[in-house]
Amino acid sequence: MIELNELTDAAQKAFPADKLSPDRDASWELMAEMGWMMIRVPEELGGLGLGRDATTAIHYEMGRVLSSAPLIPAQLGLQAILASETLADKADWVERICGGEYVPLHMRAARLTPAGDGSLTGTISGVFEADMASTIVASLPHGYALLPLDAPGVSLVERPIWDPSRRMFDVVLDGYAPDPALYLADVKGAPAMHDAIAPEAHLAIAADCLGGSAAALDMTVEYMAMRKQFDRPIAMFQALKHRAADMKTRIVVADALLWSRVHDEDADIIQFGAMKTLAGETYQFVTEEMIQLHGGIGLTEEHQCHLFMKRAMLNPELAGEPDLWKERMGREAMAKLG
Amino acid sequence: MTDNADLEALRHEVRSFLEAEKPQGWRDASRTQDDFVKTQRDWFAKLVKAGYAIPHWPAEYHGGGRSLAEQKVIYEELARADCPRLLLSFVSTYHAFATLHECASPEQKAKYMPRILEGETWCQGFSEPGAGSDLAALKCKAVREVRDGREVYVVNGQKIWSTMAQFADMCLLLVRTSSEGVKQAGITYLLMDMKTPGVSVSPIHQIQGDEEFAEIFLDNVVIPVEQRVGEEGKGWAVAQATLASERGLTLMELSYRMRGALSRVASLIREHGHEDDRGVLRDFGELVTQVDAVCAIADQFLDNRIKGIERMGDASIVKNSYSRALRAYSKLGLRLGGMSEQYIAPITFGDLNTGNWMADYMNSYAWTIAGGSEEVQRNIIAERMLEMPREPKNWVL
Repeated sequence: MIELNELTDAAQKAFPADKLSPDRDASWELMAEMGWMMIRVPEELGGLGLGRDATTAIHYEMGRVLSSAPLIPAQLGLQAILASETLADKADWVERICGGEYVPLHMRAARLTPAGDGSLTGTISGVFEADMASTIVASLPHGYALLPLDAPGVSLVERPIWDPSRRMFDVVLDGYAPDPALYLADVKGAPAMHDAIAPEAHLAIAADCLGGSAAALDMTVEYMAMRKQFDRPIAMFQALKHRAADMKTRIVVADALLWSRVHDEDADIIQFGAMKTLAGETYQFVTEEMIQLHGGIGLTEEHQCHLFMKRAMLNPELAGEPDLWKERMGREAMAKLG
Repeated sequence: MTDNADLEALRHEVRSFLEAEKPQGWRDASRTQDDFVKTQRDWFAKLVKAGYAIPHWPAEYHGGGRSLAEQKVIYEELARADCPRLLLSFVSTYHAFATLHECASPEQKAKYMPRILEGETWCQGFSEPGAGSDLAALKCKAVREVRDGREVYVVNGQKIWSTMAQFADMCLLLVRTSSEGVKQAGITYLLMDMKTPGVSVSPIHQIQGDEEFAEIFLDNVVIPVEQRVGEEGKGWAVAQATLASERGLTLMELSYRMRGALSRVASLIREHGHEDDRGVLRDFGELVTQVDAVCAIADQFLDNRIKGIERMGDASIVKNSYSRALRAYSKLGLRLGGMSEQYIAPITFGDLNTGNWMADYMNSYAWTIAGGSEEVQRNIIAERMLEMPREPKNWVL
């Protein structure tokens, strides 16, 4: 049995903290070599059979280094395939993915219109690093399916994003005819698959946010100890020190909620979404403070502050916006506390 | 280590006891301070008898000898059943107990510990008007003399922010016996009978109409040297034992209670017809998650203590996150309640989540200011967790 801290140690060695956003393709190769795609695969399919605490720990470490390799969408795509009860050659797909083939889930909604013959036209948004994917897992009007990017009627459009640590694409469909053999869940099975994968997405994004927050705080504290004004390190000024303390407090609290959700078998999708929102807003708060506490240097492109801030601004928009989860949490609490 | 089956058995036992015995309508019976005190004394006596009042005491006392994991179960159940919190006896069962247990002489222990279980209550004479966050700057002066052939301390000074000192039988008193050397070195720790001549207590009227704290005036109060805990001038170390006596259980209990009291916000939303107001629902959803997170950190903090992996500064994070959530909770209630909350309504003593939103809001300051202010906690987090440098000493104006 692999312990969580062994995974964490290995991740920190492979992706050292002082090297932010290391080369995407080399990172991806390293991740596959380290067997990270096998973490959640059951032992009978040749995987490690570990739980969501293991992937959460890895995503946290990748958040710390602003990883440019798309481990999160890849893990989610794999989760969907593993959860499929209908895919015929599932073991084969799992093996290919564990070997490094990139089959991501899209992280934003798909807006598709079916024609009378069942073909689809529209846009599937939020596909990270689609240029390295062969196939994606997509939520289609008739259920979840594998969608080969080289199929007729499928094209990729890159959507440049502010966050330089990642690349995002739209998959544009123009009369694409879905292949029935590639369905992972039909219309009846789709909600269950969604509810199984969404918490995985929320945990992964939250871990990315909090790993990034921790790294951002470390860098800020280090800078404050080094930067001198009025003959003393600015870390000595209580007005600034207190802000660092508040950053720490918010990170630790959001972290506690993340880990309590990791271990909570009864939490529902709304509670996961609300947790992700808290983690995302924590990341935004921390990076906003990071820039302010760095002063002018924090506004320069050569300094790393903006990399964290840009990732922090994008993350909460993935897998449901903050306002959506807040409202749903409010409604759920109204119903429960009725 | 207690195993899970034992913990579940304990949980079941406490739950059955509370179902049968928990005080009904205690909020209505706590509208005046006198009624509150009576409710508190009755409930404490009942819990002592049942063996749930002092789970953290040693096993030789009835109901003692419980592991931290077992204590957590008991507090979880007390919060779940919405029982009154043990406020009046808090200082005696935690602060006085820890001080006596860890630092007092066998004679002092034998004298005072049983009396606590009989309902004797204690207060803390630590803070002074000029010594709040900087407690070691205290000035209350004690001079050692011989009177009627006995060695005594004669004490003069003023203490403030003593929780429920007006009802206390005894006081944990910090005095200055020397002004030499560093300020911590001249502090001595005494146990003072509140009925001693020269002691007068004056309750502090708080902004919400409660009188949770009091001032204690000491005018030539004579305290026998046998009432000293530890050596003369070594009181600061004893005070650390007092202050470290309760860490985690209270905030866990309060967090759980706040989570339970979210139903008060839900009722308010319903009463005001906001069930479909998306802005209100978002604000409520955000609060629910904030409270969930505070429960998670309070829980994790205790679990870390149980495992012995508590880190310096963790307690400060729990306190600051709880107190901010409490403020946010009462402010949302206040906002949703609107003008209705501006008409004075009866308060409930001894409860932080009463649904009297203006009173709850005002009460929430007790948690950002008392017990080490939010700002002092921030210093601890910054200096001890983040290892940021302290401000230079010997600053002159």
